[in-house]
Amino acid sequence: MRLSRRGLLHAGLAGTAATALGGLTSGCAVPYGSSGRNMVLWYWSGGLSDTVVKKATARYGSAVDLKPIQIGGYYRSKLITTMTGRSHVPDIAGLKGEDMASYLPNAGQFVDLRTLGAEKLKGQYLDWKWQQGIAEDGSMVGFPIDCGPVVHYYQAAVYEKAGLAYEPDDVSREMDTWEKFFAAGEQLKKRVPGAFLLVDASAVFENSVGQSTKRYVDKDRNFIGDEEHIRTAWDRAVEAKRRGLVSSIVNGTPDFNAATEKGLLPTQLGASWAAGDLKLGLPKTKGQWRVAAMPGGAANNGGSFLSITKACREPEQAFEIIGWILNADNQAQGFVDAGLFPSTPASYEMKKLREPDPFFGDQITMDVFGPAAEKIPVSFNSPFDVALGQPIKDEIKNVGVLGKDPRKAWSDAMSKCRRIAKHLGVTY
Amino acid sequence: MATVPALEKPPVVVVEAPVEAPKKGILSYWRLYAAISPFYLLFLAFGLIPVGFSLYVSFHRWDGLGSMEWAGLSQYQYLLSDSDFWGSVGNTIVIWALATFPMIFLALVTAVMLNSAVRFKNLYRFAYFLPNVTSVVAVAIIFGSVFSTNFGLVNALLQAVGLDQVAWLNTPWGIKVSIATLMTWQWTGYNAIIFLAGLQTIPSDLYEAARMDGAGPVQTFFRITLPLMRPVLLFVLVVSTVTGLQSFSEPQILLQTTANESTFSGGPDHAGRTMVLYFFQQTFDNNDFGYGAAVAWGIFLVVVLFSIINWRLVQRRREE
Repeated sequence: MRLSRRGLLHAGLAGTAATALGGLTSGCAVPYGSSGRNMVLWYWSGGLSDTVVKKATARYGSAVDLKPIQIGGYYRSKLITTMTGRSHVPDIAGLKGEDMASYLPNAGQFVDLRTLGAEKLKGQYLDWKWQQGIAEDGSMVGFPIDCGPVVHYYQAAVYEKAGLAYEPDDVSREMDTWEKFFAAGEQLKKRVPGAFLLVDASAVFENSVGQSTKRYVDKDRNFIGDEEHIRTAWDRAVEAKRRGLVSSIVNGTPDFNAATEKGLLPTQLGASWAAGDLKLGLPKTKGQWRVAAMPGGAANNGGSFLSITKACREPEQAFEIIGWILNADNQAQGFVDAGLFPSTPASYEMKKLREPDPFFGDQITMDVFGPAAEKIPVSFNSPFDVALGQPIKDEIKNVGVLGKDPRKAWSDAMSKCRRIAKHLGVTY
Repeated sequence: MATVPALEKPPVVVVEAPVEAPKKGILSYWRLYAAISPFYLLFLAFGLIPVGFSLYVSFHRWDGLGSMEWAGLSQYQYLLSDSDFWGSVGNTIVIWALATFPMIFLALVTAVMLNSAVRFKNLYRFAYFLPNVTSVVAVAIIFGSVFSTNFGLVNALLQAVGLDQVAWLNTPWGIKVSIATLMTWQWTGYNAIIFLAGLQTIPSDLYEAARMDGAGPVQTFFRITLPLMRPVLLFVLVVSTVTGLQSFSEPQILLQTTANESTFSGGPDHAGRTMVLYFFQQTFDNNDFGYGAAVAWGIFLVVVLFSIINWRLVQRRREE
């Protein structure tokens, strides 16, 4: 068809009208949940068990039209853009654990779950995890999904070859402190040529910080990254480097995978969800791994929450759905489906979580994960932790990788923190 | 070229009666304006308003969710004294230079070779263009294994000729060279095609005349090809400046490590942290939207500065 001039003009007009209309509708749209019938749930791929979400849709289908949407890409920025735009805000929103500290100061944008009777369920969840979802004014923003207890993954055959303890119970007992762990690393290095205990110094630093009850900034906006707990973690990482226990390999690269498959990086300190990464990234090592307790005590890494936004018109209904999705049974399902470690201790005893895992040489990994999860220390996460922790993490990386002088690195980190703290209004 | 016939002058007509006033001026063309308006409306809604908003945000403290707090010029004051920002500007320029000059050289050589009579010309053109349409993310992942320290292709080659391994992704210069190589690989073919288009506009009688006068291929290249290609060269330089100053995905994917670590820190010593990467880190890692916006405007000014330099180069050449 030949397009006439008139036809072209008309097409242009139609386009304009459509644009103008589009602008209007998005400008004064009503929130999704306003009809009361619709209930939109936002989460990310792997954030909830798909089986459970599907069951929830069917279960509550007569009362509401539950629309679960998996949001791809940079989840947090999409959620806050939508919330700031005040339209199409989801009724129920997943909140990632690492972002939690930045949501809590804006508790006003979420429904206080205490008003919906959350307190009654408190006893069923890990206490430290429950506390992390509570804002400074006491209102409850996030309902616990999963958590990430950090454990000591190792390749049993390599440990045996190095003359170290290699049964999970023995490893947990004989490498229960960082000092004993490092000594084992030295022996490993001597007996297995080319092997390193850890991939980088950051692995020591970050997990050590995780074992503390404090992080970088306290509740009153004071910088505490120069205090004893961070200094200890720093010195420990420097010591690992000095004793030659860390490799020069970049974590997560093909190099890393190759070295791990060859048994030259037989150890990993990682959260429960790292088991999934091992299975996915290193399928050839199936059966070689075991799980033991982390040296120096439990730590947490990751784990998320569900929240109800202020846009939700049926908070009671939403809360009922959340409570059901995250009950002990369904959390166990989440672990089986997506490796989400339950925040409900009752799940740990369930049969389906006590299956021997062939990837870990038929070990019942729950025996290690479960107790670790219950012992995790409560630490305060400040919204400024990311900005003020980064310079220290960057410098420990420079020490580990570039061999920078640790004293210079520390003073560089501190002067950078001082500058950033001043800019952010944090007392140094 | 055919000569354009000179326009005949319209005969002068003396009008006695007053002319009817033009209908409604601009309004009489409303259909035409309406027809082209969708682009401008879309640009207003999704381009201009967000740009204006980012300027507004840059004068505030804002975590993205809560209320904004007026901060005046303090974000910009901090920006000026922020060694991290200036470091990222330096990184960007170094990586750009490392990538662009070899790229222009290779592209020119490729274009000249393509321009001479070869078989399967179209196949080559297609093959050279291909890297440019491949996803940067995929390319960066491949380059990540090419440059890995122990089991990478580059180090395997180095060792084959008896040289030492280089920790490409773990040393400040290695990181810069790796990113630059990736960008060179990606853009050489694209620019070669543009150069080729430029080469083909040079009339062949110039070459014939040169040959008659006894000029060799080298002389022909420097005396005829290069001067006539100047506008195309400048175009390529401008385009590569714009893309080079915006480099983001390349370092982000190449230096991506584990889920725990920030993917925006740019590797050891921040060697691969470009301006846009720094902007991203400030905004989305630190949730400092106010400062992030100020960084974005800082980047804008750097790009403007570069554009002015480019423009001056063009001007000076014209005057010569």
